[in-house]
Parts: sequence; structure tokens; C-alpha cells
Amino acid sequence: MSNDVPSATVVQDGKLAGNAPKNGAPRTPYKRKLSNYLLDKRLQLRYVLFVTILSGIIAGALGYLIYHQSATASDSLARAMDDPLFAEVKQTAIAELHSEDRVLVYKMIGLGIGLIVILSAYLVIMTHKVAGPLYKVSLYFDKMAEGRIGKVTALRKGDMLQDFYGNFREMHEAVHTRMQSDVITMEGAANGLRSKAASDPKLSEALDAFDRHVTQRKKQLL
Amino acid sequence: MSAPQKGYKRSWKNLLLNKRYQLRFTLFMVGISALLMTGLGIWVMKQANEATTVAIDRVRGDACPKIPELTDVPASDDSGVPMKLDDGTDVKPAGSGDAGSAGSAAAVAPQVAPQVPSSVDPKDVAKHNAQSDLLAVKAIWCTTAECTPATAEPMQIKVKDCDAYVKGKLEDADAVKALRKATIPVVKCDGGQAFTVADAPEERHITVQLDESSMTMTPSVPGDYADRIVQHWTCEIREVGAIDALKAGRMRILWVLIATGLLLMFGLAIYGIKMTHKVAGPLHKVSLYLAKMRDGRYDKVWNLRKGDQLVDFYEHFKGAHAGVVSIEKDDIAHIKTVIAAAEAAGAGDNEAVGELRAVLARKEKSIE
Repeated sequence: MSNDVPSATVVQDGKLAGNAPKNGAPRTPYKRKLSNYLLDKRLQLRYVLFVTILSGIIAGALGYLIYHQSATASDSLARAMDDPLFAEVKQTAIAELHSEDRVLVYKMIGLGIGLIVILSAYLVIMTHKVAGPLYKVSLYFDKMAEGRIGKVTALRKGDMLQDFYGNFREMHEAVHTRMQSDVITMEGAANGLRSKAASDPKLSEALDAFDRHVTQRKKQLL
Repeated sequence: MSAPQKGYKRSWKNLLLNKRYQLRFTLFMVGISALLMTGLGIWVMKQANEATTVAIDRVRGDACPKIPELTDVPASDDSGVPMKLDDGTDVKPAGSGDAGSAGSAAAVAPQVAPQVPSSVDPKDVAKHNAQSDLLAVKAIWCTTAECTPATAEPMQIKVKDCDAYVKGKLEDADAVKALRKATIPVVKCDGGQAFTVADAPEERHITVQLDESSMTMTPSVPGDYADRIVQHWTCEIREVGAIDALKAGRMRILWVLIATGLLLMFGLAIYGIKMTHKVAGPLHKVSLYLAKMRDGRYDKVWNLRKGDQLVDFYEHFKGAHAGVVSIEKDDIAHIKTVIAAAEAAGAGDNEAVGELRAVLARKEKSIE
């Protein structure tokens, strides 16, 4: 474990340490950004694509059915115009019928696209509420991997996986508390042996190294 | 020799590992889809109903050829026997040869004499007619009685039992008729009563004589009658079939909508649970490791199952786990060094060393 690992600090608004301003200026509350909604592309896009494609297939099938029914009615009406009585209005009426069919197709395409956009947006938001906590926990895991056992903050309102995050938080606090206790014990032991070290340079050297280790550990637990 | 481990298989019972997350996600997805499908379904059915109604109206608007009606027409050939009416003319049956071979109504009509202007003065005619009427009265009334009838004048009559005679005559319709024709208003008995002709009873009965008559109804059947019936019913059946097909198409859309909706709900529910299980599974596993870490046990971390998601997340967790284990090992190494140095310095019995030994033992146990 290297000794130059920076200390972990967690700021009040939930943003993790490492990039916190040092000048003590108040931070603006963290807001979700559109660009941050795809935190775990693999997880989120898998859901989004599946549901979007499924919805597209269903909407397409229903659209085809209704278009077929409408086109059949239009053709039927167009055939009725074969009577010489309607010769003057035939072309206009047929053009109007085809125009209505086209409008129907446009409406269905618009509705389908709207459906896909709404579902996709919903799924991105929903999966973001899962991916967000996972991302946050991942950042804490990375810090733990570096030996930094700081403090953790609560999830944002509306996030999912609250139970899992609660488990993580319990573990983190337990490890943190235990390590703090160990640091206190080690520090006390080092101080208790310091009087013996005066007559033993090897013990003194070992205690100096031990002190540095405990100091480093204390920093990691902040 | 150890037996090969069986591969872990997912159990349906374990699909709902994180009910709150999995059900919330799945139910929300299913609910949204149900709402969208309902809205879409209502719109689709509205369009389908309109299209079906238009198409049905169009089918009904095509009039089928009608079945020709069988009408009774007068016989136009020799076989027919026209109705014989008692019009005072002698009607001969058609085909008798006398009325011509056509047997038409014109052939049996009475012959009308050509009109020629009369050379007789109408006054003479009227006078002649009046004389005739008076003669008729005289012939009826004055054969057994003495009387001299005159036009438009009361008639004096002299006879034995005159009153009874006159009463009896007035009951005779012909006698009264003759008086009326001669415009004689009163019959007066000589030395007796006077009887008004107007009081005599009217002739009320008309004699109707029905001669033998016959009527022949000759229906006219067109040559293509059977073909037109076939065309009519073929058209009717085709129209009914077309309307049924349109209604069936509408119902098919409805059923497809319902089936698709249900299938979508069911599919999304299954998919949602399975997909979220692939997320909840690793989370459950990590949660178990987190519980161990909370209790100070840093066991070996095993890999995820094949097909699980959150592989990257799990790698982060493994890194965190390794980091904590590394901290523990680092602590153990430093504590061991201090204990060794203290023992070498003769401070092995020191209380501080005892505390360090206790910490060392716990830390060593935690990473076993």
C-alpha cells in the first residue's frame, strides 16, 4: 500500500471526494445532467433496446392492421365511383381517400415514434435510477480498493436499490469503525512501547515505521 | 478424488431476489405498457369501426338485380278466354271465327251505326212521345174503367169500387210508371177519393241477371327469369359474405389487440423479472459478501454466474474487497514486525504487545 494516497473526504451534497473544492466555497446542489443519464450503457441500453424494439414490432403490426382495414374501405369506395354518375367527382374523391390513408399512415408513424421515444426516455430514466446507485457504490468500491475507507452519504431521492445501498453502507461503516478501533489500539500500543524503545534502536525503528503506518491509516479513514 | 461440481442452475423460486426493486421495475413497465396498449387499442378500434362501417355501407350500397315480378296480363293469344260482361251485346268467344282470329276486345265490341243527322222536327218527336205515354196509360188504366188521360193533368176515372180499383192499380209498378211517364200527377175517382201518384211506392228492386262468364289469367314469365333469380341471390349472398368478412376483420383486430396486449403484459412481466434477476442476482451475491465484510470476515470472492449482468460492477466490488484484505494484510505485517521487535527487546509481556496480539489474531482470522 503506497503512502501517498490522498485522504478521502465526502462532501455534504453527496458528491464524492477527490474533486471537492479546497477553498471551502459552498457547492451548488448536485443536479442530474442529461449526459449522465447513461451511466451504465451496457445495462441500460439493453433494456431500452429490447423494450423499444418490442414496442416497435407491436405498434407496426397494429398499424398495418388498421391501415389494411382503412385501405380496403378506400378501395371499396373507389370502386363505387365507377358509376358514370360520379365521373366528375371520381378523381377528386379517390385523391381525397388516398390522402386520408396517407394522413393515417403519418399519424401512426408519429404515434409509433412518440411511443418509442416515451418508452426509451422512461427506460433510460428508470435504469438510471438503478445505474446511479450502482455507479455511486462503484466509486466507493474504487476508493476502498485504494485503501481509502472514508464516509458515505445517502442516495438521492428517487434512487432505487435503497436496500442494497443500505447493506453497503452498513458494511462500510462497520469496516470503518473497526479500522478506527484498530488504529486507536495500534497507536496506544505504539505509545506504550515507546519507553522500551529508548534502549533498543531496532524496536525504536520498528515503532517509527509503525507510527507512520498508523498515521497513514488514520488519513485513509477520514 | 473429488467429484466434479454440478453447474449451478437458476431456480424459478429464486427469481425474485430483490422484490422491491424487481417488482417495482417490472410492474411499472407492465403498467405503462398496459396504458399505452389501452390507448392505442381504443384508437385502433375507433379507426377500425369507422373503416368497417364505411366498407359495409359501400357493400350495402351496391343494389343487387331484382327478381322480376310475375304480372297478370290479358291473354293475347287464341287460348285465352276474355271475361264476358253483360253489357247487352252479344259477346262471342274468341276464336269462334266470327270475331276474327285475333280475338281482341275490339273484335268483340258491338257494332255502332254511323251517325246521320235527323230530318224530323224535335217538337214532332216530343208530341209523338207524349201520345205514346198517354196511350200506354190508357191501355193500363182505361180498359175496364172510363178515363181520359191528358199530359200533366189529373186523370178523372169512373168505375165501380173506384177507390179499390185505383189502390190496386197504384200497387202495380207498370201502372204507376206509365202515369209518371205521362206526367199525370193525380188520379181522381168520380165522386170519390183523389190519389197522388207521388205517394205510390217507388220501384226499389233492380233485376240483375248474371250470365255465365269466365276469365283467363295468363302470367307473363320472362325468358331469363331463372338467370335473374340466380344473379339476385348470388349477389345477396356475396354481399352478406362481404359484410361478414368485414365484421370478422373488425373482430380480428379486436382479438389481436386483446391477445397482443395480454401477451405483451405477460411477456414483459416475465422478461422484467428475468432481466432484473440478472441484476438482482449479482446484487444479492454482493450483499452476502457485504454482510460478511460487515462482520469482519473477508472470504474469497467467487466469480459471477454465466449470463449475470453487472460484471463490471462486480469487478469494482472485487477490487474493494481486495483493497480491504490488503489493508488487513498490511496491518498484520506491521503488527507482526512491532511484536517481533518488542519480543526481541524483552517487552513481550508488555500489555501493549498483548493488545497487538489480539488485533493480529482477529485480523489473521478475518482473511483466512
